[in-house]
Formats: sequence, C-alpha cells, structure tokens
Amino acid sequence: MEVKLDKNYPLAVDMSSAWQLLCDVPAVAGCMPGAAITGQLDATHYTGTVKVKVGPASAAFGGDIEVRALDAASRTLQLFGKGADRGGSSASMELTAIVRPGDTPDSCVLVGQASVIVNGKFAQFGGRMMVQVSDMLLAQFVENFRVEATARAASAAASAAPPDATPALPGADATATGAMPAVAPARAQGQKEINGLAILWALIKGWFAGLFGRRA
Amino acid sequence: MNAPKEAGLAERASALQGMGESRLRKEDARFIQGRGNYVDDIRMPGMLHMDIVRSPLAHARIKRINKEQALAIPGVHAVLTAEDLKPLKLHWMPTLAGDVQAVLADEKVHFQMQEVAIVIADDRYIAADAVEAVEVEYEDLPVVIDPYAALAPDAPVLREDLAGKTEGAHGRREHPNHIFTWEAGDAAATEAAFAAAAVTVKARIHYPRVHPCPLETCGCVASFDPVRGELTTYLTSQAPHVVRTVVSLLSGIPESKVRIVSPDIGGGFGNKVGIYPGYVCAIVASIVLGRPVKWIEDRVENISTTAFARDYHMDGEIAATADGRILGLRTHVIADHGAFDACADPTKFPAGLFHICSGSYDIAAAYCQVKGVYTNKAPGGVAYRCSFRVTEAVYLVERMVDILAQKLGLDKAEIRRRNFIRKEQFPYTSPFGFEYDSGDYHTALDKVLAAVDYPALRAEQAATRANPASPTLMGIGLVSFTEVVGAGPSKMCDILGVGMFDSCEIRVHPTGSAIARMGTITQGQGHQTTYAQIIATELGIPSEVIQVEEGDTSTAPYGLGTYGSRSTPVAGAAIALAARKIHAKARKIAAHLLEVGENDLDWEIDRFKVKGDDSRFKTMQDISWAAYHQAPPGLEPGLEAVHYYDPPNFTFPFGIYLCVVDIDRATGETKVRRFLALDDCGTRINPMIIEGQIHGGLTEGFAVAMGQQMPFDAQGNLLGNTLMDYFLPTAVETPKWETDHTVTPSPHHPLGAKGVAESPHVGSIPTFTAAVVDAFAHLGVDNMTMPHNAYRVWQQLRDCGAAL
Repeated sequence: MEVKLDKNYPLAVDMSSAWQLLCDVPAVAGCMPGAAITGQLDATHYTGTVKVKVGPASAAFGGDIEVRALDAASRTLQLFGKGADRGGSSASMELTAIVRPGDTPDSCVLVGQASVIVNGKFAQFGGRMMVQVSDMLLAQFVENFRVEATARAASAAASAAPPDATPALPGADATATGAMPAVAPARAQGQKEINGLAILWALIKGWFAGLFGRRA
Repeated sequence: MNAPKEAGLAERASALQGMGESRLRKEDARFIQGRGNYVDDIRMPGMLHMDIVRSPLAHARIKRINKEQALAIPGVHAVLTAEDLKPLKLHWMPTLAGDVQAVLADEKVHFQMQEVAIVIADDRYIAADAVEAVEVEYEDLPVVIDPYAALAPDAPVLREDLAGKTEGAHGRREHPNHIFTWEAGDAAATEAAFAAAAVTVKARIHYPRVHPCPLETCGCVASFDPVRGELTTYLTSQAPHVVRTVVSLLSGIPESKVRIVSPDIGGGFGNKVGIYPGYVCAIVASIVLGRPVKWIEDRVENISTTAFARDYHMDGEIAATADGRILGLRTHVIADHGAFDACADPTKFPAGLFHICSGSYDIAAAYCQVKGVYTNKAPGGVAYRCSFRVTEAVYLVERMVDILAQKLGLDKAEIRRRNFIRKEQFPYTSPFGFEYDSGDYHTALDKVLAAVDYPALRAEQAATRANPASPTLMGIGLVSFTEVVGAGPSKMCDILGVGMFDSCEIRVHPTGSAIARMGTITQGQGHQTTYAQIIATELGIPSEVIQVEEGDTSTAPYGLGTYGSRSTPVAGAAIALAARKIHAKARKIAAHLLEVGENDLDWEIDRFKVKGDDSRFKTMQDISWAAYHQAPPGLEPGLEAVHYYDPPNFTFPFGIYLCVVDIDRATGETKVRRFLALDDCGTRINPMIIEGQIHGGLTEGFAVAMGQQMPFDAQGNLLGNTLMDYFLPTAVETPKWETDHTVTPSPHHPLGAKGVAESPHVGSIPTFTAAVVDAFAHLGVDNMTMPHNAYRVWQQLRDCGAAL
C-alpha cells in the first residue's frame, strides 16, 4: 500500500527558524505523532520508533532512519525511514521537506513530499484509511512543527542563550489531543501514538466538509 | 424401478425412502444440536498448539531469523524454520501440479503471508504471542502482481529455485516466470474458420481471483505415536486417501501406519483439496515432539494463503455467419497461478477441463491456449464449487455469445437457440474431443422462457429504456451452460498417478441392516442421506437402517474424494454396482431358500418372489439372516461387496438460468428481481437435497458475481482478507431463488445420474454478469468485470452518462 503526499503548509515562522528546526532530526521526529528517535548510529543514521493505531490496525514500527540530504542552500531535507512491527507489518517512508519563503519575512512555507509504503497487517486492515490517516498525521506533524519552531524562535529572541533542547511550553497538554487534535498540539506529546478518536473526528469533519462541497 | 402395482407396493416402496424421495437429511440432527465433530472439536491428551510466523512482504529475501525471544517465553516448545526442516528434506514439498512449494520459506518469501516459521506451544495464546516474538529481517525484492508484467523480458525472476529449468511438468518453459503452455483443439481449422467468417468478435474477459471461503477454515490435529510408529491425523480434507498417500511418501512412514481422518467438514468448495504447509508442519512437529499438535487457521490466514480460485485473463474470439451461426471459437488465456503451481487438477490437465469452453453450442472449429504464470501471490487455483476450470470456461463462452448477439443485434435467447447442440446429435463429440453423454437444450430453454414470459420481459425492458425518467435500468441475463463433471476415466484422469476412480464397500448384517463405507467425504452434500437412498432402492433395505461412513482411511476403501461434482457420478455408481453384486448373491440365496431356479424369481421392491406366486417370497431381511445362517452349498457365508468404479466417461449436466435485475441509477445498487434456475442433472436421487444444493450454489454464485474480490496493491498486500471486506452473503442480501428441472439421464451411468451441486455456481455467475451488462446494452456496453458491487456499477452508470 503506497500513499504519496505532496503538501504545502504556510507557517507563521521565519524561514531561518524553520530551517534550524528541520536540521535537528530528533526534534523533527519528535514533531511526528507517536514517533521518537531512540538512538544515533552516526552523523546521518538514527534508530527510531513510530506507534500508530487505527481501529483494528495497530503497529509499533521500530527501524532505521537515514538522512539522505541536508542542503542548506536549498533548505531541503531528505529522509528515508524503514521499520517493522512485531505483529506482522512493515513500513517505509521517503520524505522530502523544503522550507520556502512565505508571503512576509516572518512567514515561510513548509513543503512536504512523502511516499509512504506499508505492508502486512497494517496495510490489510488499515489500507482503506491510509490516505486519511496520512493526511491526519501530517497535519498534526505540521502543527507540532509550527509550535516547536515558534517556541524556538521566541526563546532565541528572549535570551542570548542557545535554544533549550526541551523548553516547557505553556498550554501543553498531552492528554487533550483526543477530542480536538488540531488545537492542542504539544511538544511533550511527541512520544504519544496517534489517537484513533482524533482520526475518527478528522474523518467525520472531512466527510461533512465534502458533503457541503467545502473540501479542498 | 418397478412401478408399484397396488397400494401395498407403493407403501412398501415409500417405507424404504429410496431414490426419488425427498428424505430429510440425516446429518442435520447432530448439526442443529451442536453435536457435530469438526477438527477443531478434537482434543487429545498432551496436545500442543501450532501457530505460524508469516511474511508481511510479498517478495523478499530472508536475511536473518532470530527465535531466541520466542523460545524464552514459558510454554513454548519449539520454533522451527526451513533450516530445521532441511535435514529432513521437508522444507519443500511436491505439489499436485508437478511443481514444488516451500513448506517454510527457504531463503526467500514469494507471497504475502507465506509461512516463514512455526511455533509450538502449550496453548494457542502462547503460540500467538511467540509468533510476534520471532524476529525476521527481510530485504525487499521487486514485487510482481500483474501476470502480464511477469512475462516481460526484464521481469524480476520469482522462482530462483527453478533457475535454468527450461522443462516444466507440462513442457517447455519460455520465461523464468512461465509455468506451462497448454493447448487443445485444432488451431489450423479454427484459423480457417475465422478467415472465412462474415463476422468476428473479440474481447478480454477477466475472471478475477476469488476465494472459496468455507465457514470452517483449514486445520489438523497430528498425532504421532513414537512407540507404535503410527501417525494419526485428523484433517480438513476433501480427499483423505490422497493425503494419506502423500504423507506416507513425504514422511517415509508406511501407508499402513498412516491414518487420515476427515471428520465433519464445514464446507470445502475446493479449498480443502490441497495439501498445505500448515498440515505438513503440524505432522513434522508431532513426529519431532512425540505429542499431538493442533493447527487451525484463522480467517485471515484462510483467505490469504490456502487455495484461491480463478484469476484467468481470457482473450476470447468468436467467428460467425451474418445470421449468428457460430463457426469458430478461439481463446488465449493468461492464468495467474501465484508463487507456486499448486493447482489441484488431474495430472495431464494443467488448465483442468477448461476445454469445455465450447459450451452448449455446436461449433465446428475451436482452439484454446492457456499459459500459466508465476506472480507474488498465494498459490492455489482450485475448483471453487465447480469441476476443474469449468466455471472459467462457461463464463468465457457465455460472455462471448452475448457479445456476438449484441454486435449482430440478435436476441440473446435466439442466438442460443440457433447454435445449441440438437437433441438428436447426442452423444456429441465437441471440437475439443469431449463426448457429451446426453442433453436436450432446446426443451430446457423453451421451458424457462415460457415460465418467465420472456417476450413480456423484453417489452418491459424496452419501455424502461424508452423512459428517460426511469429511476432504474432493467437487465435480463440468460445463460445456457454445460458442465463436465465426474472426473474421471482413469485413462485420462489421475492425481499423482492414482486413477480417479471411486469406491464403495457395503456390508449387510444378519438382521438386515447395512453399512456402506466410501472413498468420498461429505462437506455438506448430504452423502449420509443420499447414498443410503441408492442402497435402499437397489437392495430393498430401508434407508433408516443403512449407515454411511466416510473419511477414515483405515476403514474406508481407497477413493479420490469429493470435489468436481464427482461423488454422484463416480461414487454413486460404485454404490449401485456394489449393491448389485450383493443383489446377485441375494438372488442365489433366495433361490436356494425357495427351492427354485434363479431365473424363476422376480425382484419386487424389497423381496424376491417366485414368478406367478405372490405368496412365495423371501424378503431382503430373510435373505440377510440366511446369508449368515444357512448359505447355499458352495456359496461363502456373509453378504458384502466392494466395488471400485472407473467411469467410462465424464457426465455433462446442463441448465438454463435466467435473471432479471433492476439497477438503481442513483446508487448503482443492483436488485435481483427474479432468478430462475432450471437444472438437468439426469436421474434425481433426493429432490429436496438437490434444491438445497442449488440454493447454496446460487448464493455462492451471487457472492462471486456481486461482491467477492481479492484486490492486491502494487506491493502485493491483499486488501480484502477479512470478512469486513470479503463478501459472504447472508439471508439479508440473498435474493429469492426459483428452481425447475428437466431429466435427461446419463446413458453410461448405472443410475443415470450426473451430479448437481456445482451447476448453480457455474451457471449463475455468468447469468448475473449477463443481466447487469444487459441493463447497459442499449448504451453500447457489452462487457463488465466482476464483482458488480454498487460502486463499480455506479462508475459504469457515470461513464455512460446514465447516473442520476
């Protein structure tokens, strides 16, 4: 099961803050719901985990992440991740993330192009929801990324000190994601798996939007 | 049969509950009370449980398997991989089709959910946990799902184990992913017919991959007794004797020490003909551990890995005169066999009996060619409630005849009437060399058309089409099919070299009751009911006191099992002939008891009587007692017989099916308004069971045509292997069925019976497609690919501009 995503997300963050965050692979991984970097093998190789649960399909993928390119000139990051789950699923993802100029100097556009392949039980059970789940994951990722980048920019501006690796974020609430996923992102939730209720909510919202012709 | 001459005779005949009676099913009492005994009901002392580690990938190299964590779980007895089976030479096994199949993946996996390792544990839950603890590291390989892509010159080589083998079991292999090319008919004569024809039509007819999906999944309990050196295995098999032979050959245990028992079977439909890696692994594990081992598939495993059906890509062509007389038929087929060729066909027929594809029509020239191809899908290719590849063949010819009719603007009933083999042409030799035993197609067609008032239906359809505001499209599907069943004559048909005969042993006891043991095995067909009826009529013993036993290889005579509608055509004949041996001996005993010559006796329902003197007779019960008490001098005591029946020919049941559908132009939902199935299976043994079998077959046909599918994505994930997705109709979805029949006995079968349970499946599937396509015929549509679920039909509506 392959899902290809190509999305542009305008962010109210300046280009350089966004790019700085993008260069921090563990922090980027931390923005992905349910994902975490568990170790670094060398300059470009990491190990990590991703937990996802959708209805009957749940998986805890453990695997390797390779940074294939990190080009400051074009502000482009290319990642390749591959992992397997003990319950008989496997997944891989090729991700290209680019930071492009926004409409104003204080904003930028995060361009994400991803190709996600899942195999095994996860594809068999969750296949029909893959596109929606991927959209949802990416939306949460971007929201977390925005919060993190904003926080970093703010703390960099507030003090001359280098950005704290794990600054506390006001309003962070790791338990509130269930009902209102889009409004309660948090850096602290990085380790949390994506929540089935949240996806259901997004699906229902999307369905209603579609009904009334408001879908993009 | 003797016609009863007086009331007493009729009562005596009816008391026997013999052939022609709608005797109630003997099996039902235990099933409706939950007293059946299925494989999963079997529990043995010290029994362990097996579960299987399966590949999430469809094509990959296995780099490493780590069992340590699994072995550390308390209650886990063993974890076995191909490496462990290698010293026993059991990591690969031969298939029924002349190929080999990996028992456990040897260095490579070839399809998703392929068996990679097995876990044996104290209970099923521990085994499932341990399966998750086995770590397998894979290296992805390119996946081939499309059989046409598999034959591309630069396609990835799937079967590295066959590298350099240019000769397969059925001739030369042209490509590493090519299995066989098989052909039948006369290519040159067909070419000439096409060259001279006024009209030709051509279409690609795809028959998608489906799964028989019996309610009971496959499984076994293997129990090896290390002290006695005996192996007993309870197994979900439609052919237990064949399994015994294969197990003996694979394991080296003498066949006399291998006992295979098929207890109650919860539906087979071809899914339980093959020999699966799970069976072999459970048997090996029992031998290694010296304890009984149970393995039961779950539903996902069943749909994903044990024998699928169909997956034929058929290019069909018909040549005809301008007035619709068919002159020639030609087809080239790409058959997707999956990763291993594990079809269960008679050895000489890698495409089964697909060459029945000239159907019910008198066609002078025909040719077919079938190419078998490897892909990264599960192996199988079984006959799903049909004789070998007959469903595919009937689907092809019926689609093509409809396409021709539409091109010529001919009515779909009329084109059939013009091309039917006529009654007086039987026995009829088809262009592929089959000798059709008997048939009367015109009578059957007329009966169906009259029953539904066909002209009125067509008039209604024309009115619906003329009304732009009609919320529905109306379609009428009409199909005439001829099946070839009862495999088969051993001069043509064998499985692993064993001829496809079948057998029966009957013992009549001193008090006049009897037991019959058979080489077949019922899976819902009602053998215990109908076989007894045959004996009742042949021997004058009441059905109620006739026990029918099947499925235990240590008591039953050798038989090839139940599939391909062969039980009545082959085993039914064996029963009749075994009974007739007993009847002949009974006549000798009666003559001795009545002190007359054998020729002075008449048989009447349940007794021999002296000609011209109704008061002097001996009933079968008298004779049974005498057989054990005062047998005539020179005659052995006892009253029993065995018969092995090697049929002289196949049988050719036929039918005419008609279906009316209304398609909702807004939703694409298809409502089956009416379905009439007229079957001719020759002599009818139990009309009630026939009707039940036809209802079941029609319902399965409805499932295939309207919903069942096994979609694969480009990575080889099967995206429909649960009952959330895979369509099993319940009473809610199932339409109402109407049935009718004609009777054209088979001239070569001792009872005139032809077999019936698969006809409704074979015949109904093209009927549903024909009805759905017919609804679109006025919009220029002449073919649609199954399944005709609402979404797909709606897409067709949209494409034609007919959607509301």
